[in-house]
Amino acid sequence: MSILGMAWRYLRFRWLVTLLTVASITLGSALVCTVLVLRHESDQALSRDAALYDLVVGGKGSPLQLVLSSVYHVDSPPGNLAYEEYERLRRDPRVAWAAPIGLGDNLAGHRIVGTEPHFFDLLDRNGDPFFRLDRGRLFEDRFEVVLGSHVAVATGLEVGDTFFGTHGLIEVPGGEVHRDFPYRVSGILAPTGTAQDRAIFGTLESVWEIHETEERLHSAIQGTAMLANRPERETSAIFVRLETPGLRLWMADEIRKQSDGIAAIPINEILRFQRGVVGPVQRSLLAVAAAVVAVACLTVLTTLHQATERRRRDIAILRSLGAVRGEVAALVFVEGLILTTAGIVLGLLLGHGGLALASDTIRDTTGLALHPWRLAPSELIALVSMAACGVIASVFPAISCYRRTPIADLQLTD
Amino acid sequence: MVRLRDVRLRLGEGDRASSLWFRLPAFDAAAGETVAITGPSGCGKSTLLNLIAGLRRADEGEVTVAGVDLSTLGSAGLDRHRGAQCGMVFQTFQLLAPFTAVENVAIGLRFGSRSRGSARSRATDALHRVGLGDRLRARPDQLSVGERQRVAIARAVAGEASILLADEPTGSLDPATAREVFDLLREVAAEGNRTLLMVTHDPALAARLSRSFDASGLIASGDPAIIEEARTP
Repeated sequence: MSILGMAWRYLRFRWLVTLLTVASITLGSALVCTVLVLRHESDQALSRDAALYDLVVGGKGSPLQLVLSSVYHVDSPPGNLAYEEYERLRRDPRVAWAAPIGLGDNLAGHRIVGTEPHFFDLLDRNGDPFFRLDRGRLFEDRFEVVLGSHVAVATGLEVGDTFFGTHGLIEVPGGEVHRDFPYRVSGILAPTGTAQDRAIFGTLESVWEIHETEERLHSAIQGTAMLANRPERETSAIFVRLETPGLRLWMADEIRKQSDGIAAIPINEILRFQRGVVGPVQRSLLAVAAAVVAVACLTVLTTLHQATERRRRDIAILRSLGAVRGEVAALVFVEGLILTTAGIVLGLLLGHGGLALASDTIRDTTGLALHPWRLAPSELIALVSMAACGVIASVFPAISCYRRTPIADLQLTD
Repeated sequence: MVRLRDVRLRLGEGDRASSLWFRLPAFDAAAGETVAITGPSGCGKSTLLNLIAGLRRADEGEVTVAGVDLSTLGSAGLDRHRGAQCGMVFQTFQLLAPFTAVENVAIGLRFGSRSRGSARSRATDALHRVGLGDRLRARPDQLSVGERQRVAIARAVAGEASILLADEPTGSLDPATAREVFDLLREVAAEGNRTLLMVTHDPALAARLSRSFDASGLIASGDPAIIEEARTP
């Protein structure tokens, strides 16, 4: 029987202690994996979305709020901009691509984003089309919409189906449903792995029409009159791709000075958000996870130490049978390695498996599309560190075992 | 096969080591000889076996086993010598609880003869030899005390040990089982022309071996507490 086989049999023999020790390591490593994967995936997803646009232009207010509301479909836009601002930007020779969006309604919490057809011409940073149709076609008329992939799954809507939008950006019980303006699904987008999967895209004109009609109705009810037949048309935000990203700061500064709005550089806002808000939370979670791992390693040390003390007689027997010091020390050491390895591997599976199970919920609540089985680079470092801790925790009992002289322990009884 | 000359053990260990010594009488045992080691409790009978097995080193003098002067061997060398030359049988059996009978014997072979491939078949043969062919997969807690001692004997003789060191092997057994175990020990020793050195308090059993060696002749002097501690194996 090999040392490995013997170690395994000893672990099986005291299965309850083995189970509890492995469970503590598993929980620690699962926690570490979960935190690291979430951090890596959220960083990747946030950066991926943010990197799509060089600038987001919107009403005066918080640049972060502007980016969160327009790029990630969370939070409310800080204000609106005149549509003429978009037209001015589009004519600017430094602008390679620009698209306006108008917000105002939702379907079951999924935002209805009014825009223009060329919004779907957006290329990713590799030069490939960012949006792809899964089925149907893009909207061609007012009140036609294409659904983000997650919206289609969540609502069960298919091409040709109709629905009514509800006023507001979030789902509120008893919200005002625009029953006079049914939307018809013309197509469904392929998944992008970004927040766009949670949005519904239609024409900007339909968004304007609904709200102009509603305003007229409200004015009539209140006994007031609109000043003009055709109110000023506005956008919630304008996405901009520049001819060269090097113009970002210059353009942002120029827009802030020369218009009523602000221009945010999404990647800068998100990096600032990550470092200022998300980073400390992640570091705190990592510290907790590291503490759990440290406790788990101490558990390994305690378990092996106790096992070694309880097995002094067995170790002496092995020595009396001809086992050299190194072999009995290796036996204890291998037991520690098995405990550590099993705990880490199970923790890895538990952490990633848990994320896989939770990925739909995470996507629904945060818009973050996870790749739950993908190893984060820092995870490998953490796993190696945990393994090193396990090795260290196993070395001490092994050394103690190495140093023991068998003669006294042979007199111990079962 | 076994030769002890002018062997002395310093009393106490480490900081408590004193200038007082045990002096062991000269001892010889030839190949195939069966010797009863007798004497009162604590006189050093087990110490003698431990010296021969290399579990304890002599501070002075010569301990030669199978032609090898044990003082020339390092720690690992002593372990290998013990595994290769000595089969040990203890009063409390000293079986490994997580393992079956056949595994207990095979583990002995693994460390003793260092042959892994045939260890299991040789262990099985050894257990058949001691009458436990139907108890191969039983764990120690599933065996009677007599069966446990048979497993211990099988473990001692499964390899190529030329010396059987039995420390009161019948001390925990009822008289009938003790006789069976004693007979078995003598048989397996005779089959392999092994030297059997058996510590026993039973004069009847001692009389059935080729000769007795009275270990109570050991010379000791000094603080009784230190002497007692040094005598404890």
